[in-house]
Amino acid sequence: MSSQYAVELKDITKRYNEIVAVKNLNLSIGTGEIFGLLGPNGSGKSTTLKMLMGLVQPTAGNVSVLGLDVQKQPVEVKQLVGYVPESPNIYEFLTGIEYLDFIADIYGVPTAEKQQRINEYLKALQLEGREGDMINSYSDGMKKKISLISAFLHKPKLLILDEPLNALDPRSAKIVKDYLQELKSQGVTIIMSTHVLEIAEAICDRIGIMYQGQLLALGNMDDLRKTASMPGSGLEDVFLKLTGTEDLRAIVEELMK
Amino acid sequence: MNWKNVLYLFRIERKSGRLIRGIKATRYKENSFIAYWPYWVAAIIGVLGGFLANYVVSLIYSDASAVGLQPLSTAASAFFSVLPTFVLGISIVFTLFQQIQLAGKASSQPMYWLPITWKEHTLASILANLLGWPAAFCVGLSSGLIIFSAFNGLILQALLTVVILFATAFLASSITEIIRVIQVRFTGAIYKSSGRAAIWIRLIGSLLVIIVFYVIYFSVVSGTSTFIAGLTAVQNGAWYVPFVWPALIIAYLAKGLFLQSFLFTVLTALLITALYFLAVELNKRFGLYEPPAITLQKSGVYAPKTGLLGKFGFSSVEAALIRKDLRAFTRRRELLGIYFMPIIIIILSIFYSFGFGNGGTTAANPTISVWPGVIFLLPASGMAMLLGQVAIGEEGQAVWRIYASPISGKNLVKSKLFLIIIYSVIILLISSFIGIVVFHPTLRRTVIALIESFFMFVAIASVSLQIGLRGPDFSGTRRQRMVRQEWALIGFIVGAITGAAVFAPVLIQYIIALVSGSPVSTLNYAIGVAISAAISIAISAVFYKINVSSAKELLRKAEI
Repeated sequence: MSSQYAVELKDITKRYNEIVAVKNLNLSIGTGEIFGLLGPNGSGKSTTLKMLMGLVQPTAGNVSVLGLDVQKQPVEVKQLVGYVPESPNIYEFLTGIEYLDFIADIYGVPTAEKQQRINEYLKALQLEGREGDMINSYSDGMKKKISLISAFLHKPKLLILDEPLNALDPRSAKIVKDYLQELKSQGVTIIMSTHVLEIAEAICDRIGIMYQGQLLALGNMDDLRKTASMPGSGLEDVFLKLTGTEDLRAIVEELMK
Repeated sequence: MNWKNVLYLFRIERKSGRLIRGIKATRYKENSFIAYWPYWVAAIIGVLGGFLANYVVSLIYSDASAVGLQPLSTAASAFFSVLPTFVLGISIVFTLFQQIQLAGKASSQPMYWLPITWKEHTLASILANLLGWPAAFCVGLSSGLIIFSAFNGLILQALLTVVILFATAFLASSITEIIRVIQVRFTGAIYKSSGRAAIWIRLIGSLLVIIVFYVIYFSVVSGTSTFIAGLTAVQNGAWYVPFVWPALIIAYLAKGLFLQSFLFTVLTALLITALYFLAVELNKRFGLYEPPAITLQKSGVYAPKTGLLGKFGFSSVEAALIRKDLRAFTRRRELLGIYFMPIIIIILSIFYSFGFGNGGTTAANPTISVWPGVIFLLPASGMAMLLGQVAIGEEGQAVWRIYASPISGKNLVKSKLFLIIIYSVIILLISSFIGIVVFHPTLRRTVIALIESFFMFVAIASVSLQIGLRGPDFSGTRRQRMVRQEWALIGFIVGAITGAAVFAPVLIQYIIALVSGSPVSTLNYAIGVAISAAISIAISAVFYKINVSSAKELLRKAEI
């Protein structure tokens, strides 16, 4: 099965009892694309990303990742994908380097390469000197860096990143953003969710805005402006209009009472 | 004291101690029937025990030859009076076991920044301890006492005993709270130098408490002809030891010495109050101890290694999983509890070899001959059973890492089984060494016991891993269980049956020899061992396939 798309979601629905987290979602993401998934809290972004990884089973529909069926070939899919969850619960009883070593072995990174790769990433994200510490002594930002490195380590063809830049210091965030652009130029597909709209606007080729489990708008910045009938506006204004939360002044005034 | 705060905190503590699995459901609903199973199971056992005791006693006392027996009320009073001391001891030991697991999850406690006083926090914590196993013991014993007493006209005495049992359980819970806080401070200080050292010191500290308890306990009952008579006599003689005061209330009341009984009631109440305030003060002082960041390696120079596991035929994925779990079981405090069962069995065996607890070692006492077998056979099998049950659930909230990685069902099962077997082999070697030193068994018996133990724990490991795969508990609650309670219970029963099935061929030979009075020939033993091996291999092979299938299903249905 070959496809021009790295990811294809067809009529995906995910229900949790009476709550519909994702409803009839159809989405195709091209190879080598940086795709941003935006939406208010609880809009279904993380659930969608988890379904791509096979971490959540869709109630209905099909998920295809890199031409493979996530349900039927989960191990093969995971071998090709790097994933960073929103709140990475990582093995805190390991040291940073032990965790990365574990990840490299899991993905079968050759021994000769893994030490070099790990060292490069540790140096780039300023974790050198702290890799021997237990992860439970790390700050949230350091844990996020370790999670990002563990997603990059095996050179995946697809990166699924849930809030990847949260908790990162500005220098590291800039390095990660630039690195994602480099990966894109090498044909790596990147799907990321974020609440930082400037980041999405700056680095994403296309953006999907989810609201109440449905894809409200999809396209590049111009497409989104057209959808919102807001030519010349920034992503923040477009986002607020599309999600029906543009009139925030009244809420702030109410809070000030 | 804001009682609402106590109630809220206590509810949270207890709820986190029970099974909470809200991963797939958006709204969590607790099934009270399952949540409170220790109490109703204890009540059922107690009621049945009460009826049984009444039946046995009526048989004994209706026997015309039983003229030399004590009056029933006197014998029953003696029995009632030892129960508080029994509850005290067993409550402390079981709650300490639980606290080992609790320790690893103590980093996030909103109560520390909420408007809650230390008195409220301490009381809630004590009550949470109390309503764990101590309350289940009390419910079981109380049900039995009431049923038995109702038939024998001792109901008032039984009701008083029930009240005192719960008061004693509260006393025990206060003591364990004090031990917990001291441990927090002590290990917190050790953290400064090394996290691993702190973990082991906590384990050793808890073990020391248990060993001291057992030494005192067995010393108390050693040299006496029976448990009840011995403990009653010691209690009466050791009135100055605060922990026997609750028991003395009943003992003196039974003798009609109301003033003494009242005095010990007051003393018990004062003791409970004093221990509570001591726990509050200790919590105030040490409860918030925040250790500095843990550092295991200063240099940061570390070269990832492929290790020896690859040479044993394990794939890169399996070797990585094994290495990760080996570290987990030496570093995670909440996992150290699994070492207790084998250690306690070894300690018990040693104590019994010294003659504690069974009235001294005599050739006529058959109990003593059981312990050499126990020390060889049970610790490793117990380890395999516990490890198998928790091997999957111990992944906890980090299980997403397994789900999100290219790990197959076979990878998961092979790595987990290897881990269980390695740990069981280590325990077997340690327990066998101690067994040989303490009991001096013959070479033939040693070899048979080693082989039997190996085949027992290999089969139990496979069966218990199936339990771990069927009932994992990944919830990141403060009182993490790692295996759902109902599955733990099933696992215990199935594990015991598996062990018995493997050991049966040799045991039967031994029993036949005992009955016939002739020794078992080496050939017969060899046949027994061969059959055991065949049973073990068959069970292991069948369950290996089932385990791989279950692991595939677990990974396929991954939900985080």
